[in-house]
Amino acid sequence: MKRIFLLVLALVLVFVFAGCAKRAVTTPVEQEAPKETAQKAAPVEQTPMEAEEPVMAKAEPKKVETMPVREITEAKSFQFGNIHFDFDKYTIREDAKPTLKSIADWLIKNRDAKMILEGYCDDRGTNEYNLALGEKRAKSARDYIVSAGVTKNRLDTISYGEEKPLCKEQTEDCYQKNRRVEFVSGKAGK
Amino acid sequence: MKTKELMVVQIWHNIFAHSRSCPPEAARNSEAFASLFLNTFIEYRQKKPLKCYAIFFSALFAVCCLLSTAVEAKIYIDITSPAIKKLPIAIQEFSGTEGKQIADIIRDDLEFTGFFLCIDRAAYIESSAEAFNPKNWSVIGAEAVVKGTVIGEQNITAVVSLYDVFEGHEIFKKQYKTGKSAIRQLAHTIANDIYKHITGEEGIFGTKVAFVAEDEGKKGLYMMDWDGAGVKRLGIKGNFVLRPHWSQDGSKIVYSSERGGQWGIYLLDFTKMSEKKLFASRGLNIAGNFSPDGDEIMFSSSQDEMYGLYNLRISDSKLTRITSARWIEISPAVSPDGKLVAFVSDRGGTPQIYIMNRNGHDTRRLTFEGSYNTSPGWSPDNKKIVFVGRVSGKQQIFIISPDSSEPTQLTDKWNNEDPSFSPDGRFIIFSSDRNGDSSIYIMRANGESQKKITPPWLRAFGPRWSPN
Repeated sequence: MKRIFLLVLALVLVFVFAGCAKRAVTTPVEQEAPKETAQKAAPVEQTPMEAEEPVMAKAEPKKVETMPVREITEAKSFQFGNIHFDFDKYTIREDAKPTLKSIADWLIKNRDAKMILEGYCDDRGTNEYNLALGEKRAKSARDYIVSAGVTKNRLDTISYGEEKPLCKEQTEDCYQKNRRVEFVSGKAGK
Repeated sequence: MKTKELMVVQIWHNIFAHSRSCPPEAARNSEAFASLFLNTFIEYRQKKPLKCYAIFFSALFAVCCLLSTAVEAKIYIDITSPAIKKLPIAIQEFSGTEGKQIADIIRDDLEFTGFFLCIDRAAYIESSAEAFNPKNWSVIGAEAVVKGTVIGEQNITAVVSLYDVFEGHEIFKKQYKTGKSAIRQLAHTIANDIYKHITGEEGIFGTKVAFVAEDEGKKGLYMMDWDGAGVKRLGIKGNFVLRPHWSQDGSKIVYSSERGGQWGIYLLDFTKMSEKKLFASRGLNIAGNFSPDGDEIMFSSSQDEMYGLYNLRISDSKLTRITSARWIEISPAVSPDGKLVAFVSDRGGTPQIYIMNRNGHDTRRLTFEGSYNTSPGWSPDNKKIVFVGRVSGKQQIFIISPDSSEPTQLTDKWNNEDPSFSPDGRFIIFSSDRNGDSSIYIMRANGESQKKITPPWLRAFGPRWSPN
């Protein structure tokens, strides 16, 4: 019994050694073409800033659409200056009221005119929240003009947030310039 | 137990404990195993000797087989353990043209993870052409070695071997074929395989980053590799675009773009390289991210003078309003498991982050420190939320648990925004203006090793890591 026991134990030891010593050696037959970029975008050029093959939108019409253009008494944003806001705020300041009043008067006089109010922020803060803040500013200005007697549907609003800054220096002066609503005349947006 | 049985237990324990090949669990338990078996054996020996022997040794055999298979998947670095010792690894220049470039990319990939200590090639004794000799590597402190050969100019075949210096032999070998234009992808694939073999986890070296960059005053969508190589512009229209969100399968992205005076939500399908407008209206429409199955997106809209978070089903354009608010509510981020939504609201007077269920119920506030917290993003395991908080007038990156515990600040100088986790949750990509104009940086999820990846001539923001 003792001998059989020792013999089998020796067998067991052999198995144990064989098991423990095994290593995975993947044989060199696996062929692998690494994930091509084709699924994401066209292969890359070396030159920087090269516009790659543009994304093809579905069935781009070649003819140019004619957009109805209404001639309106010229009103660019410089006719009415921009109004400005305090940091992180969208309340109308006292120094903005004269501008808003004169815009309201002009719109009352030019019954066909429409206006777009563009809201902006300085570049501090998140892009998405700044878009929302810019919109709040545009809407505050709009509401003030409406309360002066102009119908709401003549005033359209859009926000560009921190996009399209007037200046890029990181100074209080520049930040203040960017915290604004601009008044652009023309047809209201779709 | 008698002396002889004790001896068997000792022998068994010694075999397991001292063989470096066997998993430590087996070594620890081996003594208990052996004792248990022997006690059972002794008990039954009295009653049914032959049957008992047969069962006993079959069981031993079975255990050995199990252990031998478990042993094949040895993990060299347990990257889930809190204190990791970096593995000293030598990545030798591969022989052949492009051999150095490939080896360099592999080295940079592994080095960035923080789990490897890549030994300087100046210290190597063995040349690329020579066969692996463990003595050449143990003297310089390497524990693992990568060698490879590259053949071909246009059509490339690379054969890569990974060696264990202590064991003294090869533990992994693989052949790869690719075209010359995909050299970087090849190197990243090799790095992934080595990483997987050593840590047991999937690497992120083949992933991409979608981001926004400025070009002549306009903002467009761009793509690049995770390490900043291969920057290319996606030719979509419009002058302004906000940062995109990836679907979980990596086949499409959704983003907000301003076209003709309206902010709309657009979908770019990479499999067809086509863009589709999902939603546009007056007011602000800001895209959130996809549901886990990729068929729905959430977005915020102020189309009717009120704010709302909406759910849009892409297949049939079904629109469901989830919330309605007089205050600002934007930036919805669906959790990776699809159950919760983090979003930004200024219902309390200043922008803060809130969490609600996907159906809009059970809203609670997440951030309580600071007066400006925005841009929430989830980690892939649903356990952390990364966000941007204003500190002393500057934007900084934080992570926090969904129950508001453990808020941790990861950056502290200049402005750092737009954070997004890597698909393995170990890294965060973000934009920073610390070097002048906004550039894209990556760092480990604990804030270490912050490194710029976009080229200096590119003003870049809003990065999002691809899921694969």
